[in-house]
Amino acid sequence: MGKEESPQIERRSTRHSSATISKNEAGTKSNEPLPPTVNDLFYGEEEKPISLDDVVSSFPGRRIQIIELMRVLGPVNCPMVPLFIYGDSSTGKTSITLQIFRHLNRPFVYSSCLTCYSPRILFESILNQLLLHRKSMANSYLSAKRCERPSDFVNFLREALISITSNLQGNSGKSGSKKLDRRASGNMIYLIFDNLERVREWDKSSIMLPFLLNLYDILKMPEVGLIFISNTSPDTYYSSMGYAEPTPVYFPDYKEDDLRQIFVKNQENKKLYSSFLDVVLKPFYRITRRVDELSTAFSQLYKKYCEPLSDLGVVPNEEMKRRLFSNLQPHIAPSMNEIFKVSSQPSTDIGATKEAKQKSSSKKSGLEVTDQLDLHMSTSAKYLLISAFLASRNPATLDASLFDSTGGSDSRKRKRKPSEKTSEQKEAAEQELLMKGPGTFPLERLLAIFQCITSVAEGSLEEEEQGSDGLRVQVGDNSLMSDVLLQLSSLCNANFIVKGVSCPLEGSTRYRSTICEDMALKVARSLKFPLSKYLYRR
Amino acid sequence: MGREKPAERALLLLRSRLCDPSFVFNSFSDSSDSNYSKLKFIISSSVTEACNNSILLLGPRGSGKVAVLELVIRDLLLEYPDMITVIKLSGLLHSDDNCAFKEIARQLCMEHQLLFSKMASFDDNAQFMIAMLRECGLAHKTIIFVLDEFDLFAQGKQRLLYSLLDATQSVTSQAVVIGATCRLDADQLLEKRVRSRFSHRKLLFLPPTKEDWQRLLEHILLLPTESTLPQDYAVEFNAKLQNILADNRFKGIINTCMNIDSTVNHLLKFLFRAVSNMDLATGFLSLENFKAALSNIQRQPKLECIKDCSVLELYVLVCMRRLEIKEQNSYNFNSIMKEYKSVHDSCQTSDYYAQNVCLWAFEHLLQRELISFNDNRGNNQSIEFRPVKLLVSSHELHQGLKSYRSCPAILHKLLAG
Repeated sequence: MGKEESPQIERRSTRHSSATISKNEAGTKSNEPLPPTVNDLFYGEEEKPISLDDVVSSFPGRRIQIIELMRVLGPVNCPMVPLFIYGDSSTGKTSITLQIFRHLNRPFVYSSCLTCYSPRILFESILNQLLLHRKSMANSYLSAKRCERPSDFVNFLREALISITSNLQGNSGKSGSKKLDRRASGNMIYLIFDNLERVREWDKSSIMLPFLLNLYDILKMPEVGLIFISNTSPDTYYSSMGYAEPTPVYFPDYKEDDLRQIFVKNQENKKLYSSFLDVVLKPFYRITRRVDELSTAFSQLYKKYCEPLSDLGVVPNEEMKRRLFSNLQPHIAPSMNEIFKVSSQPSTDIGATKEAKQKSSSKKSGLEVTDQLDLHMSTSAKYLLISAFLASRNPATLDASLFDSTGGSDSRKRKRKPSEKTSEQKEAAEQELLMKGPGTFPLERLLAIFQCITSVAEGSLEEEEQGSDGLRVQVGDNSLMSDVLLQLSSLCNANFIVKGVSCPLEGSTRYRSTICEDMALKVARSLKFPLSKYLYRR
Repeated sequence: MGREKPAERALLLLRSRLCDPSFVFNSFSDSSDSNYSKLKFIISSSVTEACNNSILLLGPRGSGKVAVLELVIRDLLLEYPDMITVIKLSGLLHSDDNCAFKEIARQLCMEHQLLFSKMASFDDNAQFMIAMLRECGLAHKTIIFVLDEFDLFAQGKQRLLYSLLDATQSVTSQAVVIGATCRLDADQLLEKRVRSRFSHRKLLFLPPTKEDWQRLLEHILLLPTESTLPQDYAVEFNAKLQNILADNRFKGIINTCMNIDSTVNHLLKFLFRAVSNMDLATGFLSLENFKAALSNIQRQPKLECIKDCSVLELYVLVCMRRLEIKEQNSYNFNSIMKEYKSVHDSCQTSDYYAQNVCLWAFEHLLQRELISFNDNRGNNQSIEFRPVKLLVSSHELHQGLKSYRSCPAILHKLLAG
């Protein structure tokens, strides 16, 4: 997996390191770094171009796509129509494209709509690269051109492209000079737009998307190749005005055999790992096909798998395989159900953790927190959490009966309810509950429930005193109340309670609890609080 | 070795032909009733007779409106040098009036070697344009305004269109306003004051007929025999190509291609893929190249997506479909999970996973855009409770399951009902 994302990083670092190296060398002569040259547009200065076989062999299962891409790009100096590369994430779209450019040794400008998150940043990053402009102290980290509108961008872009292409043509003309002769690059220049699907969420997407997709027709320059890389298929790019569809290249998800090759590729003990894969790949493959996710799951499991082994270089025989398998088997099923838990250890693959972090929902973080709940949450925060949960789940009309002075549940009412409803109504209500999710509640109700359950809890501890000394409990409550609002806001920040929009009729802010029942039960258990007693079940 | 060189050069030639619209549309320029001749006649008469004019070019995207126009302008510039100034605007870039006037002023300044001021205001630029129009009119020079994506100029207050078309009403100016758009009702978008000043001349660009396609194919693909390419290679290439063109199977491919989209652009796209597929070792186009190109272009993204899904993701999709069959008008992740559980309870499948794993599969499906939320107002509901919908039809789902390798048989049964 490391290799999946590494080329991108490698490229950045090589460009950067080439800059710093030249700086150091120049340091003896002058303090000025070498002015950037047109060579900066090539893949990594020091690296040798790689052969096509290397590209193919470093990406198992991608031979067809690589050949297809090579064909569309064509031999030197071939004009091309815009290209649209799409496929699910972590199928190697970006890295293969960049490696192909390394192989072809042609100039290109790479910009990702993920990092360039607004039109202006995107435009300026492209122009900076084309105009060989490097942000530095001397120019106080400004871009080469300030440009916000597509119209300005097209003018600047055309100028820059013309100067670059004439420069390239000049280079290929006097090929004997310097080291440029190794660059049989031709006079084409390629603009790569990665993560195009992001543009759809931009504010100005209704202008930007048709603009980018029609850029080729607007520029009318045959020596410019446009390459779009996207997570989603072309049919998800709706636009009211339409565009000339670029020619598509599809990267399908990896098949099981490809995955096996990918995982075995970077392993030290290939035999051992493949016997490990025999066991785990099939069941996991049924859940997900993403390399990034699988690799996180496998890295943990592989450690478990190797635990009984003293020597990791051993070649496993049948008997040993069986032993290792029986050792691992109990771990597979639970790990499958926790496949997407992010490990806290620094893993080698950046891509996987990045993906996982991005997506981690409140629910998952909730699960992780439960393990160390006692350490991180004060008692009053736990009570607050439970009362929020109750306020979200129980209908407000039942509060009085659930939390009346006796503190017990109203058994009479509960028995009456089901008989009253027909089963059909009940089903509809259940459906509604599933759809609506947890309900909202005003702050007052939360505080009221909070006070009730804390008083009950205190009461249960000092049952004998309760009747005579009601005032004491009140005092105890007040001390709990003092920072309850602070606790509430920290729970809101932790995403356990969501602050909703204010109700238009009442004007007060409404809250909603997002924790699931399991978690609430766990919290209640840690407090020895009888939660189920207070939970209204339909 | 001797073969490879001409093959590469032939490929280069073909590809640059395909990427050069002026070459492609050249083939239409000779007949007298083509759009090229009509357009050329209109523009050249207004140039020679020193009058104003306005035209709308209408046609589907990729039918070559702008390409033909550029061809006409190129020829006219050769015919009447120093009499024509061309100002090109695109609705995608200059739909904002302010921006459009600025661009006009910039291009006028470029053309006439004047100093362009970036700081000039909207009014300055508008007045500058009117003044320039008058000056050019006095010098018997025609200014041709090309407005690509014309419909986008009609979005705002249409001040640009008004001042351009108003200028064409006066005798002192000499301007031709040409709009190109895909919207056939573009003139209905104009305000009354603008519409009354428009000449209502419209040129319709129809997709080429079958015979035109045949002509185009030959025009584009046949290699010139008198050129730098070795003659025997070119002759052999052309002979093989003629064989292919006459082949019935090839005609079938072209027919399917035409049935999808019969604009010139689509043909070019198709041919581009076919030409790129050419085997450089043999150096000739083959029928397989065209077949491969058709399958390259004819994508079924949703079907591909379904084929890429993992088994668990398929389960989620099938459960959603089942909910739809049950006529539940809205459902969310929790109701899907309920369905999934009931399916599992009744059939005892081996693929039963915990809720958070399913949630992950659910998120994958969202990312693949096989499903989406009903409303994209991200109100603070968590994902589980937001109502979702399928973005694939039941037919596509059936197809997808059928072509899925080693699809669990139970899924077919579940989907059937």
